[in-house]
Amino acid sequence: MRVMMLNAQDARKLRPSMWAAVILVAGIIAVWLVQLGLNMVLTQDAYHLRELKIERKTLTTEVQIIQEEVDSLASPQNLADAANRLGMVANPDSVLLDIESDRIFGTPEPVSAEDTAVASGNLVANAALGATSEFSAGALYASGFENGVTTSDDSATEVILQQGRIPASPTR
Amino acid sequence: MGNHAAVTRRLSAFLVVLALLVVALGYRLVDFQVVRAEEIQEKSLERRSQTYVLRALRGDIQDANGEILARTVFRYDVNASPKTVGPVYRTVDGVRTEYSVAEIAMDLAPLVGLSVEELLSRLEGDSEYSSLAKRVDAATYDAIKSLGVPWVYFDTLSDRLYPNGAVAGNLIGFVSSDGTPLAGLERQYNTCLAGIDGQETFERSAEGVRIPTSNITTQPTQNGGTLNLTIDSNLQFFAQQVLADTVSELNAEWASAIVVEVETGKILAAAEAPSVDPNDAGASEAENRGSKILQFAFEPGSIMKAISTSMVLDTGTATMYDTVSAPDHLYLDYGEYIKDSFGHDEFNLSLAGVLRYSSNTGIYQFGVQIDKETRYNYLQRFGFGSTSSLNFEGESSGILRPVEDWTYSDNYTHLFGQGIAVTSLQMAYAYQAIANGGVRLDPVMVESCTSPEGELIYVPEQGATRVLSEESADTNLLLMEKVVEFGGVGKTAAVDGYRVAGKTGTAEIREGEGYGDNYAISFYGVAPVDDPQFVVGVTIYKPEGVTNSAKATPPFKAIMSQALKHYRVPPSTTTSPDYIPSNRDGEPGA
Repeated sequence: MRVMMLNAQDARKLRPSMWAAVILVAGIIAVWLVQLGLNMVLTQDAYHLRELKIERKTLTTEVQIIQEEVDSLASPQNLADAANRLGMVANPDSVLLDIESDRIFGTPEPVSAEDTAVASGNLVANAALGATSEFSAGALYASGFENGVTTSDDSATEVILQQGRIPASPTR
Repeated sequence: MGNHAAVTRRLSAFLVVLALLVVALGYRLVDFQVVRAEEIQEKSLERRSQTYVLRALRGDIQDANGEILARTVFRYDVNASPKTVGPVYRTVDGVRTEYSVAEIAMDLAPLVGLSVEELLSRLEGDSEYSSLAKRVDAATYDAIKSLGVPWVYFDTLSDRLYPNGAVAGNLIGFVSSDGTPLAGLERQYNTCLAGIDGQETFERSAEGVRIPTSNITTQPTQNGGTLNLTIDSNLQFFAQQVLADTVSELNAEWASAIVVEVETGKILAAAEAPSVDPNDAGASEAENRGSKILQFAFEPGSIMKAISTSMVLDTGTATMYDTVSAPDHLYLDYGEYIKDSFGHDEFNLSLAGVLRYSSNTGIYQFGVQIDKETRYNYLQRFGFGSTSSLNFEGESSGILRPVEDWTYSDNYTHLFGQGIAVTSLQMAYAYQAIANGGVRLDPVMVESCTSPEGELIYVPEQGATRVLSEESADTNLLLMEKVVEFGGVGKTAAVDGYRVAGKTGTAEIREGEGYGDNYAISFYGVAPVDDPQFVVGVTIYKPEGVTNSAKATPPFKAIMSQALKHYRVPPSTTTSPDYIPSNRDGEPGA
């Protein structure tokens, strides 16, 4: 290495350019700004991701609440109790219609609670039973159904079967 | 000049020092960045990263129609941090309101099932943990969360829910509070149901803040598969209802009913009362938490006679027209005697007559003509004395002593169901063999195990054993039909519109050295005889004050009717043959 003594004029010529310094500083600031921008975007995405995760958790909880409610309402225990409260009993006298041979099997008989071999109310334990069917006037009103059923008296109309055969449909 | 030399020396020294520093730093740089780079990176990652387990969800158990019998749900432990307990501020419509701890406790107490006083006492102190409630459901969790109390926090746990409660509870089994399978199919098929836990790591900053997007799944989670059963939960519930009613009416110890599909060997229902609700297994007595149909062996009594008549036919020992003279009691060679359940004159009984009148003396005379080795082989082929292919934990093989160990009395008592112990499953499949043209199929209760993606992981193999010739089996079924057509008790098992074959059983229960006053009453039957679809077997154990099987036929009839109706089985189009002798004179007809 060599050290040289210069006069003032030469020394000024060798002084670093101001522009270079400005460009360097500007470059550094630009890089810093880009990094800041990227960080902001990443942070923003992280917040968004967090929000989505919270939303997913909320929805999962909501699905589980609804699923458990459906499970409970659809359980045979609830259905048996609901049917019982509606005054329904199991009728062992089933009637089958054979479409191919146009035949009726079995005799339809009304059944009373005393005749049925099966208990109408539920006898099978279910600790998971939560929501149950409700038939109060308020619940029926809220469901949009009318409380009560309108029936027409068609007892005078007699259906005559030919030896247990299903009457032919007039449409064919 | 002297100054210049001094400046040059100082500068040179500075440069040397600088060079040394650069070399030293360069060495460290190369050492850190190249030589020990991997080790340092590992250490750094180790410090930054945190690993946690991703719990796999246990798979569902479904019935034959895809109805969920067991599923995994989330439950929540509710905790508080007493140290940070304080008033809660809520802003509603721009108005910030303060709620005192007492006011918050009023809202919180009913949700965690505590009194306000008890809750407030748990919120005192300066600890960071106080348990308020364990395993609350999602609705309660949601309600508590919506209160927005910052000092209440939750631990999420996975739990098992059985939406249908005790329906098939004896078969499904249950798991412990930490998810360990303890009994039933839950335990037997744990490999199918349990998933494989995963692992995930994420990185933290120096301040301990989680660095976004740094998650790495080191071990992917594999959720458990779905276990698909052959059980029809609707039929199962119906059968359990019937049995619960029966047990209550007769004050019996227990009752069981099994429904088997004849052509496939699938178990459609295996119901018991009392049963166990897997949601709350602790509420049931220990002896009612298993499956008696599979695990309890009993002396079957006269339901065995239908098996014995089939052997007589199949070995050609007698035809359905042959008769024996059957008194109401019969002295044997060594002084003992056997007797029928009712006093009567000497009957002239055919095989159908033996079944119709459930005559012990009659079946003895037909049966002992077959050598005992042959009978033993038949009993084995019918499935007695060994466990089934179900491999259900604790399944009983029953008791069928090796033929060389048969006592003198075993030689004849086996013919009418004494000295031999069977499970309801074994007896149902012996009847299935008769209904299925002589071929006994292995029982099937699990249809398959499927992965969460729906791929088949496991399908059980089903074996078949030819027990009887098709002709013998079909003929035997016709003989059994006479029990329901003409039998005193058997008639009450008839189902309108369908031809039903079956056999009653009133088995004395051994107590000590002899038999006591208790009975196991049964009715096992098949319908429709012209196209066998179902075997239904009902057993009622120790009904109070009951000495015949008349109380076993109503549940049989109810369950068989329901099965026929449920599966839309067309009624019979033929009637029982009128040429089969079955009356006390060895002639056809009543």
